Amino acid sequence: MELLLQTIINGILAAGIYALVASGLALAVGVVGIVNFAHGEFTMIGAFIAYLLFVSTGLDPFLSLGLAALVLFMVGAITYLGLIRPVLAAPELNQMLLTFGLSVALQNIALLVFGADTRVVSTSYQGATLALGGLSFGVPPLLAFALSVVILGALYGFLDRTRLGLAVRAVAQNRLAPGLLGIETQRVYLLAFGLSAALAGVAGVMLSVMLYASPTVGFAYTLKAFAIIVMAGLGNLRGVVPAAITLAMAEALVSTYVPGGGGWVEAVFFLVIFVTLTWRSWRAA
Amino acid sequence: MILVGLLLLVALVLPGLPLGEWRAFLLDTAQFAFLISALALAWDLLARTGQLSLAHGAFFGLGAYAAALTAPALGTLPALLVGGVVAGASSLFLGLATLRLHGMYFAIATLAFSEVMRTLVLKAPFTGGAIGLPVQPAFGGAFPLGGYYLAVGVLALAAGTSLLVSRSRLHYAMAATRQGEAVARVLGVPVVRVKLLAFMISAFLAGLAGGVYAMKTLFLSPYDAFGLGRAVEALVIPIFGGLYTTTGPLLGGLIIVSLETWLRLRIGEGYLVVYGVILVLTILFLPKGLVSLFRRKGVGHA
Repeated sequence: MELLLQTIINGILAAGIYALVASGLALAVGVVGIVNFAHGEFTMIGAFIAYLLFVSTGLDPFLSLGLAALVLFMVGAITYLGLIRPVLAAPELNQMLLTFGLSVALQNIALLVFGADTRVVSTSYQGATLALGGLSFGVPPLLAFALSVVILGALYGFLDRTRLGLAVRAVAQNRLAPGLLGIETQRVYLLAFGLSAALAGVAGVMLSVMLYASPTVGFAYTLKAFAIIVMAGLGNLRGVVPAAITLAMAEALVSTYVPGGGGWVEAVFFLVIFVTLTWRSWRAA
Repeated sequence: MILVGLLLLVALVLPGLPLGEWRAFLLDTAQFAFLISALALAWDLLARTGQLSLAHGAFFGLGAYAAALTAPALGTLPALLVGGVVAGASSLFLGLATLRLHGMYFAIATLAFSEVMRTLVLKAPFTGGAIGLPVQPAFGGAFPLGGYYLAVGVLALAAGTSLLVSRSRLHYAMAATRQGEAVARVLGVPVVRVKLLAFMISAFLAGLAGGVYAMKTLFLSPYDAFGLGRAVEALVIPIFGGLYTTTGPLLGGLIIVSLETWLRLRIGEGYLVVYGVILVLTILFLPKGLVSLFRRKGVGHA
């Protein structure tokens, strides 16, 4: 019983970062209409920013969150202006190939600059745990989870309660009408893509503490974020949080209860994608 | 067409030419280039239906493992066939579930598929896991040039299939599917069946190429056979050379593999960065590929 409870808690704590990365991707897919294969590489950049700041100035990663978010927003905006905007009208195949190329390029540039080693930001509280009635909570996952909740709350607040957020949701629903009603579609795209990258970057900062920073750390998160938004329905922001919890929970259960589960965890997201797609394809047929 | 024939002819007589002390290296690189070009041609076949596959690295790897595992029992040629069939069968399984859906779902599913295949091969009891799998050379090593000619054969088969398809009615069905699925369906094109057929032919060829690759390197590891690098090569080459053509992937393959071999010698790890950059630049500035440079405007392909 205690094992099950601990597994569920681990799952929920992991869901925070998943939801952050996936909400970012859902913004790119839902609002801009771009399947961004380089999304995880924004996470990777965030992780390296946290690592470099920690090594050079000793800045605590949870304090460098804001800076990383700002840098990644700029990176996202530049990516949008330089690469995404020219192919907005191109065939979908070309768009996907472009972001895939960007992903490969960023991963390998990082490999050339930093090498393949994994780098951990070792803070004083890294191994710290809180014990509560026989269950233990790692301090960094708990902090990351709390921050994710706050950031996601702010994101949904922005989308629900501000005029700009309303504009973003309008563009997500219909490509043409908002433009006719005087919403500057291009600016909304820019904002959405920047936010998307910033969310990924923030998740990367948290990863640098909980996991590590390495050139390939982001790639797995691209796949997991895809699994989550496929489950939620491409571009459906509302569904992202429950879908993230489902995936994280499934992974936690597999790693606890399946013998030799460590390696199989990496297959869970595929099963999720496959089951969702097959189910949907049968329903559509 | 003429260029394709000429290239294959050169490939056939290449070992007979006086190449001097670089002969072994040159033939080895050429063999690799032929196999990767065949993989690129296979990828292009599927791309003609408008589907982006990121699983061709996995089909290549599946073919390689299947051929390597069955070769001692069956002999070289049947084992290669098994490799192709295993890859084709797995594409049917993947395609049935995902090809009814919108293109981006397919791309995502194929990417996930190749990651999981690597996990499976790492975990399966008979593949040598992370340690790797030693492979026997083609024909038990009886003919030193056997592997080379097998590679030429696979390339010829891939190029021939590609040419044949672009001359058949299937070509129009594929182009219609790519340019507007709804319209194609209204016009009586069995869209899902066309996509599945293209996917299976494509995966079969990729599996064949993988099998010959296994007998060339004599050693397989999950990280090499199922690495993302293969999938990247498979798609960058046709795009760089020219999508939906036979000459494009052939020409692109020879140029890019030469470039890759040179870079691998110079910078080692991270050489894939050029693939990323070439991919981005080609999409932005030369979306019709190298072939379009040699063609007058308007004389495009359907």
